[in-house]
Amino acid sequence: MLVGLGISGIPARWLEMPLWKELHIPQPQSRADSRPGGLVQGISLGLFGGLRALLADLLWLRVNLSWERRRVPDTLAYLHLVTAVDPRPLIFWLNGARMMAYDMPSWRIENLAGRDGPVTGLRERIEAEQTRLALAWLDEALKSHPASAAIFIERANLQLNCRRDPAAAAADYRRAAEQPDAPYYAARLHAELLRRVGRKAEALAWLVELHPRLPQGEEAAAAGLVLSRIRELEEELGVPSEQRYLPRI
Amino acid sequence: MNAWQFSPRRVGLIARVTFLEARRQRLLPLLMLGAAGLELGAQMLEEFNFGLSELKFIADLGQGVAAFFGSILAIVASAQLFFREIDERSALTLLAKPVRRSEYLAGKFFGIMAVISLFCVLMTALIIVMLWSRETALMHGRPELWERGRHLNYAAILAVGFAHWLGLAVLVAFTLLIASFAQSSLFTVGVSLGVLVICQLQFLAQEAYAKAGTLGGRWVAGFIALLFPNFQVFNLGDVTGVEGEIGVMLLARVTGYALFYVGVAGMLAVFCFKRREI
Repeated sequence: MLVGLGISGIPARWLEMPLWKELHIPQPQSRADSRPGGLVQGISLGLFGGLRALLADLLWLRVNLSWERRRVPDTLAYLHLVTAVDPRPLIFWLNGARMMAYDMPSWRIENLAGRDGPVTGLRERIEAEQTRLALAWLDEALKSHPASAAIFIERANLQLNCRRDPAAAAADYRRAAEQPDAPYYAARLHAELLRRVGRKAEALAWLVELHPRLPQGEEAAAAGLVLSRIRELEEELGVPSEQRYLPRI
Repeated sequence: MNAWQFSPRRVGLIARVTFLEARRQRLLPLLMLGAAGLELGAQMLEEFNFGLSELKFIADLGQGVAAFFGSILAIVASAQLFFREIDERSALTLLAKPVRRSEYLAGKFFGIMAVISLFCVLMTALIIVMLWSRETALMHGRPELWERGRHLNYAAILAVGFAHWLGLAVLVAFTLLIASFAQSSLFTVGVSLGVLVICQLQFLAQEAYAKAGTLGGRWVAGFIALLFPNFQVFNLGDVTGVEGEIGVMLLARVTGYALFYVGVAGMLAVFCFKRREI
């Protein structure tokens, strides 16, 4: 019987290998590395099969419960566990980053100083720590979702809103815009932030390259808005009229 | 001589008797009740009101429960229905007549698959009805999130159910293969559960050894991969989620893979069963 299974296994592998390659690639890259998260993911994937997603959903409920109770260690622990079990849903990574960067600083400040206590200096330090943590978390997410525009956008939002670093945010919006599932606004925000930090020529070049690729009839693409920004930048940079961008009709 | 040729009619009769026996044992309603209860329990999630992720939870719960209870049903029903006739000696009476052992096994397989099919159809229908009704309710509650129509791909959910059914067909064939030489249903159930875990895990061993394993380790992993099918191929829900798409060609190849293993396990089961003293 074993010999029969072994012999039939050769053509079966021939059937399976391309199929598995196709099915395996759409899943995030394996996290089966040396870290405990990789091990948890591997075991849960193998043992639970179809139940893995369900297990992760239940753990996600636990994350939300800890979040409601404003418990930093519990929320962090469950966030790591849930993404170790199932790193595929983006919602786990994105909401996790938001919890770390936007919610946890205020919980920590409350715990350290009380709701109305003196927080000068303390707030900045904790916010910076939490932002670093959230950015590292999103870097980890990129190992599972290397081509996800949503993760780059979340990174950009953190750079802009928490670190107040428009140049870094512009770089992340650009990486978001380069992904296949990117929303149109990512490219516009990249240009807008370049403009804000004084790199107007770069912003203009980016928009001029972007505009011909935008579908004219689609509201979200906002081709008209992009053209008006091109004109504004050309004005600000004093581009001669013969060198100005001419949209193809 | 005609009586000894392989007869689909005799296979059909044995399958019918097997299906009726399965109904009499009430395995299906029991498991169906448990599975449906769990899935309907997901309705309490309305309390959380977390939009799209709620739909994902309902789909994950339904597919997970279907996979779990479906696997139990496939293994337990196959072992019980196979050994019941052997233990009661009715198999002896049947096989004393001009019935091939291959017909007997094929009949058992199709009878059990009728039960499995009923389970899969009912579970998939339940999942779709629940998702459809909940998505409709959410659409009315927050229409701005559904401006572009429904988010869920119900054709893909059907395809996931079909792939799951294919996986259970392979599991039934392997359980019958084990039963064809095993001496008790308990042994069959135990070994089949082990096979199920190996089939779910074998690709991990291959990946791990391919990355860092020794030559010996790679050989062992490769040998396991030759012996057992990769059941992750049938977890299409893992690939698509609730909004993804599944191509017809992909589904056809998964079907081919399942049919190949059902055929191999079936032939080996016939080979073992022919040599068995009843």
